[in-house]
Amino acid sequence: MKRFLERCYIMIIFIFLYAPIITLIVLSFNNSRTRAKWGGFTVAWYSALFKNQAIMEALYNTLFIAIVSSAIATIIGTVTCIALCKMKTRSRSLLLGVNNIPMLNADIVTGISLMLLFISLGLRFGMQTIVLAHITFNIPYVILNVMPKFRQLNPHTYEAALDLGASPVYAFFKVVFPDILPGVLSGFLMAFTMSLDDFIITHFTKGAGVDTLSTKIYTEIRKGIKPEMYALSTIIFLTVFLLLFIINLAPVWKERRMRQKKTKHLAAKNYAVAILGFLLLIGFAAIFKSGSVETDSKQVIVYNWGEYLDPDVIDLFKEETGIEVIYDEYETNETMYPKIESGAAEYDVVCPSDYMIQKMIENDLLAEINFDNVPNYKNIDPNYYKQSKEFDPENRYSIPYCVGTVGILYNKSMVEEPVDSWNILWNEKYADNILMQDSVRDAFMVALKKLGYSMNSTNEKELVKAKEALIQQKPLTQAYVVDQVRDKMIGNEAAIGVIYSGEAIYSQRENENLEYVIPKEGTNVWIDSWCILKNAPNKENAEKFINFLCRPDIALMNFEYITYSTPNMEARKLIEDEDIRNSEIAFPDLSQYSKLETFQYLGEDADKMYNALWKEVKSR
Amino acid sequence: MANRLIDLVNITKSYDNNVILDHLDLYIRENEFLTLLGPSGCGKTTTLRIIGGFEQPDSGKVMFNGEDITSLPPNKRQLNTVFQKYALFSHMTIAENIAFGLKLKNKSKTYIDDKIKYALKLVNLDGYENRKPNSLSGGQQQRIAIARAIVNEPKVLLLDEPLGALDLKLRQDMQYELIRLKNELGITFIYVTHDQEEALTMSDTIVVMNQGYIQQVGTPEDIYNEPQNAFVADFIGESNLINGIMIEDRLVSFLDTKWKCVDEGFGTNKPVDVVIRPEDVILDTPDKGTICGTVTHVIFKGVHYEMEVTAGDFEWLIHSTQMHPAGEKVGIRVDPFNIQIMHKPESVDEEVAYSE
Repeated sequence: MKRFLERCYIMIIFIFLYAPIITLIVLSFNNSRTRAKWGGFTVAWYSALFKNQAIMEALYNTLFIAIVSSAIATIIGTVTCIALCKMKTRSRSLLLGVNNIPMLNADIVTGISLMLLFISLGLRFGMQTIVLAHITFNIPYVILNVMPKFRQLNPHTYEAALDLGASPVYAFFKVVFPDILPGVLSGFLMAFTMSLDDFIITHFTKGAGVDTLSTKIYTEIRKGIKPEMYALSTIIFLTVFLLLFIINLAPVWKERRMRQKKTKHLAAKNYAVAILGFLLLIGFAAIFKSGSVETDSKQVIVYNWGEYLDPDVIDLFKEETGIEVIYDEYETNETMYPKIESGAAEYDVVCPSDYMIQKMIENDLLAEINFDNVPNYKNIDPNYYKQSKEFDPENRYSIPYCVGTVGILYNKSMVEEPVDSWNILWNEKYADNILMQDSVRDAFMVALKKLGYSMNSTNEKELVKAKEALIQQKPLTQAYVVDQVRDKMIGNEAAIGVIYSGEAIYSQRENENLEYVIPKEGTNVWIDSWCILKNAPNKENAEKFINFLCRPDIALMNFEYITYSTPNMEARKLIEDEDIRNSEIAFPDLSQYSKLETFQYLGEDADKMYNALWKEVKSR
Repeated sequence: MANRLIDLVNITKSYDNNVILDHLDLYIRENEFLTLLGPSGCGKTTTLRIIGGFEQPDSGKVMFNGEDITSLPPNKRQLNTVFQKYALFSHMTIAENIAFGLKLKNKSKTYIDDKIKYALKLVNLDGYENRKPNSLSGGQQQRIAIARAIVNEPKVLLLDEPLGALDLKLRQDMQYELIRLKNELGITFIYVTHDQEEALTMSDTIVVMNQGYIQQVGTPEDIYNEPQNAFVADFIGESNLINGIMIEDRLVSFLDTKWKCVDEGFGTNKPVDVVIRPEDVILDTPDKGTICGTVTHVIFKGVHYEMEVTAGDFEWLIHSTQMHPAGEKVGIRVDPFNIQIMHKPESVDEEVAYSE
């Protein structure tokens, strides 16, 4: 009985540990775009993955960085171990202690410190800074693995080799190295795994146009993670799993080899071939990479949301203009802003959201666009320029790229009465069937609009009333969620949800019962616009790039790729699918609605007030 | 006597202000089996490592065949070392281990193969070519380490406590083996040990060291029979060490008794150390002894009995084949020739540096 309980306990622990990964692996074979439905078994996501050039490029970068950084870290770490061995015990244990600190240090601290260091050194952010950062955090792991092997070493074997006439270098490679090789290899593999695994440090030290798999995946968060990414994550997991397997099994294999002495020679040769192979790979990679790294003035550096541009557009742009696009991605306005502000990386073009544009204008980070150089600006619906005035009062800094509204998505089979007001979110009939957006401004927008106030209100009385409304509503809600409204609504798990229009179109396609409404009290119109940075090194190319994006055929390509509404009127006319072309959700006529607003940057004091009130709501 | 092969001139070496060797002078003759003997920390291994080139002296010179080799790295020196823990290359076979030095000298394959055969035969391990060091016993590994060193035909073989890790029986066998090897090869051996029996068995010359100073240099017989100071007497074998007064030439007083001896030149009424080996004490009936005592302990040691005899307030250690039971009254005599007189050091410094 006791044994049975013990087994159960262990089983439960393993289920806890591995259930998330198994879920991921299962979903990577799910033949449906949404998490909510099982659409049968498929390997389509895997093949789509390998056809996706951006992901393949990121994969290549990841491997390149992992191999180069772990190889260099292995060399440096091993040399360090030699020095440590010759030291006196006290200074050695001191240094080993110092060596252990970076491993325990939070990645985010390491990442930010490295970023600051690189900035103060005036390094250009890119592949080289990532590699440097990875070498830095990999060295302790190599030392950790190699040092015990040195400790086990008979110190006299090296001297014996010298004594027999070997030069110090020959003695090291012929006599010492074979003995420490297992440690060096496991150090290399450990470093390789760590490098493969890293997100945070890479995030802070990368520059424009360089993405690793982890940063690439993260940039996709805004639009919802695509099933290809499940496939990719599965592959990464299996790779890491395999590497760990090798690290842990190598000693066992070695023992087995010791028993079969005859194969030993072969094994030594295998080692040599493997090392040679690695070196060759590094060499090729280095050559390949040095070919592609160039600092041409015929370039434009673009910093955009993840998955927010059709990659073919970049190729077309280069074909037509000869201008190279260096493309980098971010996941939220808040991660983009500090990178721009710190000047860590040089960018030309950036695509912030409404309130962020206002903040960037206020902080003098944006350059005025010369509209003579962007004649295609006329293709954009004037209503959106008008709406943009909320954050760019004279329409001098931004050209709208993607737009959308926030509204109510409801399930016709569950809600019979007509929906036209935010008030329905307070209807007790739908208790436990209401989904809210889990973000301060989105939640307060709903409450403020319901109460008839501006969603950019900084009036404390109004905000307190909004807070009370939210608290009053809270028992009725099923959950505050980020990007699960879509999936839950598709899966008939809730009746009413607050949703972005882009998601609404997608949801409707998956579940015919869903309907989208812009409430009569007005709502948030969000606008992501192209801006040029004040310190842009290639301002003219940047204008050419924006002009290119405003061309109807190109805007259409991007619309079809992103699926968020385009404000480009001419592009809309080119849409073949009549349903979409005439969709009220995708292309609402802004002039038809009243009380539409766009988020503004309210300043720090207001931010604090919002956050404090939001905390009260959430803690109830 | 053969000419000097190695000369250590005024060698000083210290670690962290800790003086290991203090102005050491020593020469080693060709074809000599020289042993550096002393307790741990006496500087014997450091001396060997300086000769081998693994350590640099802080000051002083190492001369080899009249040439200054002080700054020559180990791989350029015409000598080879056998290390304490064998230091075999574990990932190589025995043959590869032995061939290591020869390959570096670009010898032909047939030459190398012959040498391996010859060396393995010399150390009685024929046919072990393809074994791995880890599959050999400690004694076998040590012999391979010796084979690996001697195939290079060094003029001098340095051995750093090579038998330290072996058990008693094996150690004795290896002692004879080393003597045989030395005679067959006709080269100089410099041997480091803290085991006085090893030193006495194998050496032509023994150098007794303590705290960085040479205490005495001499043949095993010299060192054993005529220790020059109390340290040597105490360290080499067992002895009765007694405070005495040299009354005049050939007459010494200790334990309130006057004894005849053969030593001269100590002056009159000088305090001295008197050394008497336990096997040199003769036990007899009380009336025939110079002094009398009572047997307090008896232990049978195989070759002899070890007895303790209390006479006055001194406890004698005595080895004899004749057993006297505990409690028996005995007389103690010592042949004047077996009474060894030594200067008393006047200061601590002199105590360790006396012989120089």
